[in-house]
Amino acid sequence: MNTIYYLVQNMLPVSIPLLLVALGGMFTERSGVINIGLEGTMLAGAFAGALFAYNIQGSGLPPYMVLLICMIVAAVAGAVFAQLLSFAAVTMKANQVIVGTAMNMMMPAMILLISKMFFNSDGITTNVRYFIREVPVLSNIPVIGDLFFKNTYLTVLIGFLILIISTLVLYKTKFGLRLRACGEHPHAADSVGINVSKMRYIGVTISGILGGIGGYFYSVGITDGNINGHNGVAGFGFLALAVMIFGQWQPIKIMFAALFFAFLRTLAYSIPLIPFLDNLNIPTDYYKMMPYVATIIVLALTSKNSRAPKAEGIPFDKAQR
Amino acid sequence: MENENYIIEMLNITKEFPGIVANDNITLRLRKGEIHALLGENGAGKSTLMSVLFGLYQPEKGEIRKNGKVVKINNPNDANDLGIGMVHQHFRLVEVFTVLENIILGVEPTKNGFLDMDEAREKVVDLSERYGLKVDPDAVIEDISVGMQQRVEILKMLYRDNEILIFDEPTAVLTPQEIAELLQIMRDLAKEGKSILFISHKLNEIMEVADRCTVLRKGKCMGTVEIKDTTKEELSRMMVGREVSLKVDKKESQPGEVVLSIRNMTVPSKIHRNNAVKDVSFDVRRGEIVCIAGIDGNGQTELVQALTGLEKMTSGSINLCGKDISKASIRERSVVGISHIPEDRQKYGLVLDYTLEENLVLQRYWQPQFQNKGFIKFDEVRKYALRLIDKFDIRSGQGPITVVRSMSGGNQQKAIIAREMDKDHELLVAVQPTRGLDVGAIEYIHRMLVEGRDSGKAVLLVSLELDEVLNVSDRILVMYEGEIVGELDPKETTDEELGLYMSGAKRDNVKEIYNAG
Amino acid sequence: MQDKNDMNSKTKEKKKINEIKGFSSFTSALMAIVIGLLFGFIVMLLANPNNAVAGFRYVLLGGLSRFGNVLYFATPILMTGLSVAFAFKMGLFNIGASGQYTMGMFFALYVAFMFNLPPSIHWIVAILAGMVGGMLWGFIPGIFKSLLNVNEVITSIMTNYIGMYLVDMLIRSNEVMYIPSMTRTNYIPQHVQIRSLGIAGSNVNFGVIFAILIAIVLYIILQKTTFGYELKATGYNKHAAEYAGMNGKRNIILTMVIAGALSGLGGAFAILAPSEIAGSSMTYEPINVIAVNGFNGIAVALLGNSHPIGTIFSALFISYIQRGGTLASLVGYKPEIIDLVISVIIYFSAFAAIMSSALGGFFTRRNKKEKDKSDTQPVEDIEHDIINKEAEK
Repeated sequence: MNTIYYLVQNMLPVSIPLLLVALGGMFTERSGVINIGLEGTMLAGAFAGALFAYNIQGSGLPPYMVLLICMIVAAVAGAVFAQLLSFAAVTMKANQVIVGTAMNMMMPAMILLISKMFFNSDGITTNVRYFIREVPVLSNIPVIGDLFFKNTYLTVLIGFLILIISTLVLYKTKFGLRLRACGEHPHAADSVGINVSKMRYIGVTISGILGGIGGYFYSVGITDGNINGHNGVAGFGFLALAVMIFGQWQPIKIMFAALFFAFLRTLAYSIPLIPFLDNLNIPTDYYKMMPYVATIIVLALTSKNSRAPKAEGIPFDKAQR
Repeated sequence: MENENYIIEMLNITKEFPGIVANDNITLRLRKGEIHALLGENGAGKSTLMSVLFGLYQPEKGEIRKNGKVVKINNPNDANDLGIGMVHQHFRLVEVFTVLENIILGVEPTKNGFLDMDEAREKVVDLSERYGLKVDPDAVIEDISVGMQQRVEILKMLYRDNEILIFDEPTAVLTPQEIAELLQIMRDLAKEGKSILFISHKLNEIMEVADRCTVLRKGKCMGTVEIKDTTKEELSRMMVGREVSLKVDKKESQPGEVVLSIRNMTVPSKIHRNNAVKDVSFDVRRGEIVCIAGIDGNGQTELVQALTGLEKMTSGSINLCGKDISKASIRERSVVGISHIPEDRQKYGLVLDYTLEENLVLQRYWQPQFQNKGFIKFDEVRKYALRLIDKFDIRSGQGPITVVRSMSGGNQQKAIIAREMDKDHELLVAVQPTRGLDVGAIEYIHRMLVEGRDSGKAVLLVSLELDEVLNVSDRILVMYEGEIVGELDPKETTDEELGLYMSGAKRDNVKEIYNAG
Repeated sequence: MQDKNDMNSKTKEKKKINEIKGFSSFTSALMAIVIGLLFGFIVMLLANPNNAVAGFRYVLLGGLSRFGNVLYFATPILMTGLSVAFAFKMGLFNIGASGQYTMGMFFALYVAFMFNLPPSIHWIVAILAGMVGGMLWGFIPGIFKSLLNVNEVITSIMTNYIGMYLVDMLIRSNEVMYIPSMTRTNYIPQHVQIRSLGIAGSNVNFGVIFAILIAIVLYIILQKTTFGYELKATGYNKHAAEYAGMNGKRNIILTMVIAGALSGLGGAFAILAPSEIAGSSMTYEPINVIAVNGFNGIAVALLGNSHPIGTIFSALFISYIQRGGTLASLVGYKPEIIDLVISVIIYFSAFAAIMSSALGGFFTRRNKKEKDKSDTQPVEDIEHDIINKEAEK
């Protein structure tokens, strides 16, 4: 039982970045733009968040306040960074995959450059301890309290809150309906007076916000609030894309997909603690490869009936009505 | 003042695209409560003019007035605010949305920030009852028939309280019976005080429903006439500029031995769960043009793709010139003797960024004539291309080295026809070969099909145009929901009978003939 | 006779067209480069205004003094650039060049250390092994794409990570290859190293010659052969290629395998190259970092307009400014600035063509309001395009 508690408690902080970033990817793709640059967006958020935390960590603010403030900073950074994509993809009608690739290359170089220049290291190290031993009251609920409200991070709760908001926005609001129309049939949206370019800008910006937050939560939950330019976010931006596809571009399914991937990864890094797997004596590197291998297998299995937004990746051209 | 009668006036509209004047000083006046037809060939500038009215394009010259006042229409929103609505030829419906979601898109009612679907539903149900437009508000668009999709488009306009309704080629996708129904709806709408612009190139429909008609030819306005004072022949002359004989000049066919023989073909659909082609059997003989008629989406596309090897069939057999090609690859089928003029010439038939000569050898570049040990013989390709260009009169800016993308649609189609007809073949499969072309090109292509037939080839034509079906073919097979429901003689059948078969109202047991034989 | 004249004039015209096309892609590449460098300069100004001019001069001109090294470091990115460019021609985005490159390095290293072969052929076998390693890693996204229609971009990103972890693990666990105390591989035996060209002050070796020859061969394949014809046709329009009976599935796999082979060769050329210390060679550090040369290949391919010959020049250019960037550290700038410049160049080259034509239009003031269509086209066609675009949906 303890092993299960341990796995769940460790899996949740891992799943949240995947969930948020995949939701971000969902919003862009639902608007009709492919965002390969999520990895870079995450890094932008993680770096901005950690940089801000570094500067305010001595001010005596409680960790949860630091977290919330830095989360907003990360969101802004991600949103600004994402405009690189929206400008290129929507206004300039550029190849979205290439633009995303450029964004992914840009951020590590930027982080290394800044860190080397100002911190004389490869990244930023903070000493804020975001970890929460126990959430008051809620942690007393049997089983659930142990699973979700002990030894955890605030990020988990925020993550699920964002999931609920995303679901409502996508399915229950005017905005969501219009956004989905832009990704499926932009000319239909255009013909009823919806500004497709504006919707796509918004879609990309949301992915920037969620990507930025996701990146920061990665550094909070996985690398103890630190971030460096060499390891970055270890391909989480790409894994999030796989999570999004596996989740069929639907929020709730994305959540399950994120949990699945997080479980695999947590397992990979917890081998020494699980006697049964530890006894097999398989080098841990094999387990580290597992999420990536699983991605390929999952994509292969779901490729037949996966239904991407129809217009994704195609620049909207009014003239070609 | 004469202005009082007109709800919309488009005065001296000129719209240029780089290199071409699409609308040259065109004036069109729409009276309140009338049905006004806009007639013209493909490429005459009808769509451009309507796009100007709908705010999709800005004209270089001219002005638009509503009720005598000059208005500026910069985008579809402006058009909508002026009460202008449009049913596009290709529906603007989000396929994964429900009927209701599509209707409210852009003008969604909300309550406390969330969509208020109940209010929307009430209004839609109310409208659909008032105008007799039957729809299921909760059905998903991709699951409903084309006719119902069109009703959704009309409801979209009514939901927005539009008073000027534009119908862009609305009958292209309908059966004769559905067309009659639509024309009735249009009359009812006009009676309710709506003003209707009806874009079409079909003279019969215009004569039947319109009050007046404005004719365009090559971007110029040929004038506006009262329908009751004119004839079909006069309209046709105005549209094309010369007498047109829609009758195809051909001899009685002399069918020879069986070239193509399809038995029990079943092909799964990519769009829905059912089979697109269900247990279809038929033969095509040397020296005859067999036409597969039917409404778009009844399995014709899948039938042809399975025949040419682009799709797999789940069961059945295809026999060409005595060879079983059921499992052969596309290339093998081509070698055995299928030539294929595809439905979508730009998607399948051509590599638009290749030159004309490269496209002309698309089916043959691998033959010893054009390559040696994997290296292409470019001088041979050039020689061959020049011959075909000359023989088939393919016109282009720079001859064989013209990039095909820059050629006109008619000449692109000619290039495909040249390539497919010059290649050794026994069976020519032509799918909607005249789609989107002007009368000159249509006549040319019909002539080529008949020539092919007379030189002893078997021709399988798939067409959606009733005129083409009746005039060109020697034998008609009607397809409905993936099955062949009738075999007709074009000389003995009529539009109406064909329509009954096409809509599934009438069916014969055609299968028995082949299964027994 | 007349025909012949006609044809001659037409081929001349064709040349002219190609020149114009080549010219515009050249100007757009140039524009991306200028913007990228400008961005680099601005970053330098922000970081340290006093040395910015000196630093920027190193970036621009530093490569001149180290031309041998420019060639040396251009070799691997020329290969990954060719790899990306070749796949581009088929309409595939080989973002997996990095993993293929890493596998190429590993296979070459393995043969270099673990095989006992006659010195005269050992290095050749090692190079070929690198090629095989890359092929293997290109094959995976290829087969998933062709048989299951899985997007090659995601699979090749995943194979990048899998390849990196796999190679790191295999190297760390091999006692012959790996020196744990230095977290790098051993120097490979001298006879397996690629022969140096003997240019003073650099270790530029036969690798660069091979790479350029390979680029020329690729050019011939693309322009003159039926395979190239099929490849480009598929890249332009895969439906038409299928319609014409081309074997799309086979060609996808073949293209990805060839692209993988090119990247793998890049890895082999890089790792088997002699390095500055006498008798030493390049080494591999298993520190869980994705090989950046794979991604630089994307920049090289884009700048070279996916043209094999253009790729040679763009590889030289990227390597040139990288050398300059290294020298800029003499006045206190970090070499990462060049990575930043490269990413900016990639970013802008994604739409430089559109930008340059827009600028051209701006200058000539032609149809300033007309943003709908840039090339001349009869209206009939516009309407057909519309019809067909709709039909595609």
